[in-house]
Amino acid sequence: MQKVSTSGAGSTAEVILTFARYEIKRAIARRKVLVLVAFTVLLDILPYYALSSVGSSRIPSPADPYIWVVGIFGLQPFFLNFTAILIAAGAMSEEYEQGTVELLLSKPVKRQAYFAGKFIGGYLLFLMILALNTILSLGSAYTFFGSQLGLSILPGLFAIQALASLLFYSLAFMLGELIRRSSLAYIFASAAFFASFIISTYIDLIDTLTGTTIYKSIQILLPTSPANSLPILYALPQLPSIIGTVLRFAGGGTAIVPTISLSLAILAAYTISGIVIAALYFQFADISRRVS
Amino acid sequence: MGLITDSGQTQYESERRSQTTDVAISFDGATKSYGSLSSGRKKKKIGPIKLEVKRGEVLGFLGPNGSGKTTCIRMMLGLIRPTSGRVLINGFDPISNHVDALRHVAYSPELPNIQAFLTPQELLSLVSHEIGYGADRPKETIRSRPDEVKRVLELVGLLEYADTKIGKLSKGMVQRLSIAQALIGSPKTLILDEPMIGLDPAGAAHFRSVFQEFASEGGDDTRGTVFMSSHIMSEVESLCTSVAIIHGGRILYQGPVDDVIRNVLDYTMITLEVRELSPQIIERIRQIPGVDEVRPNADGEIDILVRGNSDIRPDLSELIVRSGAKLYTIKSTENMLERAYIEALKKDNGMVR
Repeated sequence: MQKVSTSGAGSTAEVILTFARYEIKRAIARRKVLVLVAFTVLLDILPYYALSSVGSSRIPSPADPYIWVVGIFGLQPFFLNFTAILIAAGAMSEEYEQGTVELLLSKPVKRQAYFAGKFIGGYLLFLMILALNTILSLGSAYTFFGSQLGLSILPGLFAIQALASLLFYSLAFMLGELIRRSSLAYIFASAAFFASFIISTYIDLIDTLTGTTIYKSIQILLPTSPANSLPILYALPQLPSIIGTVLRFAGGGTAIVPTISLSLAILAAYTISGIVIAALYFQFADISRRVS
Repeated sequence: MGLITDSGQTQYESERRSQTTDVAISFDGATKSYGSLSSGRKKKKIGPIKLEVKRGEVLGFLGPNGSGKTTCIRMMLGLIRPTSGRVLINGFDPISNHVDALRHVAYSPELPNIQAFLTPQELLSLVSHEIGYGADRPKETIRSRPDEVKRVLELVGLLEYADTKIGKLSKGMVQRLSIAQALIGSPKTLILDEPMIGLDPAGAAHFRSVFQEFASEGGDDTRGTVFMSSHIMSEVESLCTSVAIIHGGRILYQGPVDDVIRNVLDYTMITLEVRELSPQIIERIRQIPGVDEVRPNADGEIDILVRGNSDIRPDLSELIVRSGAKLYTIKSTENMLERAYIEALKKDNGMVR
């Protein structure tokens, strides 16, 4: 065999794919993902079991064929956004903390390819958990309540949920890169999420009491608003009106943002800002040595 | 026309440009400042560094802890930006043209933080994908990717641990793996940060021969370039053709090992293994110009201290042979580099640790 140097440089697409696969593997190796999966299983089975065992006077029986929405929408406001935060906040920061980024970036690869690979890899992992959530919800609904209807909207709903979760995913990803400490990034991203949720509820109350439109306008611009409104705005018109009752029971019945297009615009503004800020910082900042 | 690289050049153009310069690594007044008065941390500055490593050169980069060795290496790898000045690798800026600068360059970090959740095989496979192993060569002319991973694992003695999680490997094994990932694809330039740390004597000897072979063949027709940061002077002395001594963020000396020793020390030491040497001949040795002291050492050999830069070995050997004494060896005393290194730091400001 001829002895030649074969250490060149991979194509950008190949390198992005390599880093995406690596990120999925890295994140799965962390125990937190196993915990997330365990929670997903629990949250997607337990409510159906409870409902089928003891029943609910709040859910009318004609809604039984659509009971799958409980699992799909019940997790969106908190669990899915929190899952996105948990995965994204550690994607960049954990590599700094463990000092493993140095080895990866000392190769002839573009920083943008590394960044893109990490972002895509983490997001693909999130999509896997989202898919697990969908499958388990359907499976549980079918097991405990029999045949389910209205499933034709599921592919579109899955895409919408994936898109909606991108907002907090990108914000947490940005914080992970800027702060470079995973625990602080989790805390700040979660704080932003919960603060937005609490402020939204508070503004809703003031809006109800005062009837002043300015409060509603502020509420619409909060990051939780488009993230939680988008799936409802997409699904509700395509399902029987009785599902509104079920969705309210599941905790996700009201859309704060009035239209899909406005939701998408606000979501895009937050998501793109997060990605651009993180990418610019990563491109121009020094790669810090092990930080913990 | 070859493959288009990330910088928009064809790979052929990129390779041609990198090969037209005979300088593999150059620091052109590069500085790096850390901290700021506003942040309350004491401001620290490395540089300006002026340093050149030619192709085929095996350079030992010496300096005490905190002198700026790792900062220089991180600037070379494009991990940190110089505050001023510039660093070029194979004629390219590793910040603005990272891919072209680091093509055929490999780095083995000190006490590496390697992905503990991977196995050695997975790590080397990851690296081979990162560097696009074999992408620019016809498949039939090179090893397959798994075969290349196996070759390198075998070379560093980790083949039987190929499927063990890195987190379960010993410190020495992780160090071997750090070197292994640098050797994937037979690069042309090796940047090694304390490569012998954590290795047992047999391992150190093995890697010494690996690096020597790399330096003589370089994974290609040309000789390989090695930039090696180390605290182990004997390793540097036996492996390196040249050294650079850095202290307080400044390069104090750079050049061929013997030249640096001569520049730093105003003496050299010669050791004779000789039998039946009469007192008269010892006296005549003392009279050779430059000889300052002649004394027996603990091993029964004769140490000769020579002032200045003159090389007395030809005169010395002729004198001894003519006298009828039995001369077995005549050699420069070992540890001269260590003496020179310590003396260089003393001369700078006495900060010897």
